[in-house]
Amino acid sequence: MRETDSAVVLETRGLEVATPAGVGGLRLGPVDWRVSSGELWVVAGPHGAGKTALLETLAGLIPAASGSVRVFGHPVQGSGDDETTLREARRRMGLVFDGNGRLLSALSVGENILLPWCYHRNAGPAEALTELEPLIRHLQLGSLLARNPASLGRSWSRRVALARCLALGPGLLLLDNPLAGLDAVHLRWWRGFLAEARAGHPILGGRPLAIVATTDAARPYLGLDPRFALADGGRWRILPGIDSVLSATGEDGTRNSG
Amino acid sequence: MASDPILPAREPGAAGSPGEDAGLLQELLEGWRNLTGLGAFTLITLATARLRFRENSRVVTPRIFGEIHRCGVRLLPLVGFLGVVLGLVFVGQTASLMEQIGAGNFTGTLMVTVFLREMVPMTAALVVLARVGTAAVIDLGTARALGEVEALEALGIDPIHYLVVPRVAGFAISVVSLSLYLLVVGLASGYAFAYARGLKASPIEFLTQVAGALHGLDFPLSALKTGIFGTLIGLVICYQGLARPLSLADVGAATTRTVAVCGVGCLLIDAAFIAVYLLL
Repeated sequence: MRETDSAVVLETRGLEVATPAGVGGLRLGPVDWRVSSGELWVVAGPHGAGKTALLETLAGLIPAASGSVRVFGHPVQGSGDDETTLREARRRMGLVFDGNGRLLSALSVGENILLPWCYHRNAGPAEALTELEPLIRHLQLGSLLARNPASLGRSWSRRVALARCLALGPGLLLLDNPLAGLDAVHLRWWRGFLAEARAGHPILGGRPLAIVATTDAARPYLGLDPRFALADGGRWRILPGIDSVLSATGEDGTRNSG
Repeated sequence: MASDPILPAREPGAAGSPGEDAGLLQELLEGWRNLTGLGAFTLITLATARLRFRENSRVVTPRIFGEIHRCGVRLLPLVGFLGVVLGLVFVGQTASLMEQIGAGNFTGTLMVTVFLREMVPMTAALVVLARVGTAAVIDLGTARALGEVEALEALGIDPIHYLVVPRVAGFAISVVSLSLYLLVVGLASGYAFAYARGLKASPIEFLTQVAGALHGLDFPLSALKTGIFGTLIGLVICYQGLARPLSLADVGAATTRTVAVCGVGCLLIDAAFIAVYLLL
């Protein structure tokens, strides 16, 4: 129902993701996958399964071993990808990295958030601040703008990284383990954000976003009605329901760790 | 002498053994790879600067001014101090000595050949490299190691356009400007020192002597040379700090490599310019 009603935002065909040698150097795939606007996909799997590499491949940051990726019809991997199409695709998707979100340490929090908007619109910071003020307020970051990113905790850093991505008004959001290590307050905020972003919030232009989030544990996503995929041992599987996910990630207690 | 229990004793005559030859060959290959990599990086940077000259100017232009402030304006006190010292040590003593031995007519030629063409550009370049360049490699290398470059790419921001072009432009403009400043301060302090030691020439006569020894191409060539020094330093810094995957542990080695490559590169460029000056 969801998929047929909505536009396909992300499409992969025969995608083989090459994971870095540091995490085993195995290949994940083949990934044949379609993500539509308004969908929340959770890619579960153990550490080192290639989830981060999958997101970086979708964003065109690392080359795919084989196969193709299209974002809003623009080729990101495979035949037809070039600098122009890649840049266009990246303007329409946002990637929030794991951990502290890889904020630019040489800039303040405010400059980090405003940078993409200023760069792509060739605008000054005052203009960008006026435009992005509602977004900053919605993400509760107004009091942090002058701070150095290094002075923020991981939860707030990740939220700043989210604001930086949302500044360009993306239609596709790639989130690398966004709920890991959050306290209860931040976890509640993120769950609320995921629900309103996929539904289409006025602050995000009212358009339903397509969201792909990776995770080591699926349980924090219960109640958000996500669709699940599993990356494990180089294999990619779309899982039918929450029970199979909890079983696959060992959260039902049937799988031994290690 | 007690032998080191951890390090194996070196075999007599081991130098030149097949193992060491292979190591030397590997180093030469690595050096060649670095050189070709730097060449490719230079071409990419120049192409980006040319093709995207007017794009995103409200973000990139302030960054160029920021780099000029960091590499140029903030170094004015240090370079001014060096100018005074060089003026006393070289310009003043030389002018005074030449007058004493009755060769005052050659003072201008000596100032132009040694001070303007050689000492000033090299000093300005080395000061910028030591004071700002090393810190810049550490900044860029750390940003690269922490994945900030990939974060820029993910936002659709070209790292060459945003990080490299402003730095290279800032370094080039700063080295040219600081050279001119060093020249003026050096000549002024040198003249003051020589005058105190009994030089009879007035400031106008002293400057006329120096100006008389100048070739018409001296200032354009000096500007070109210092511009190339600055460009080379900026490119090597960005190449070593950004262009290759780094871990935090590699940042120190990248900084050392940058100093070595820039030092050798500036000397080679200087040698090429000496050949040009000989043709004048």
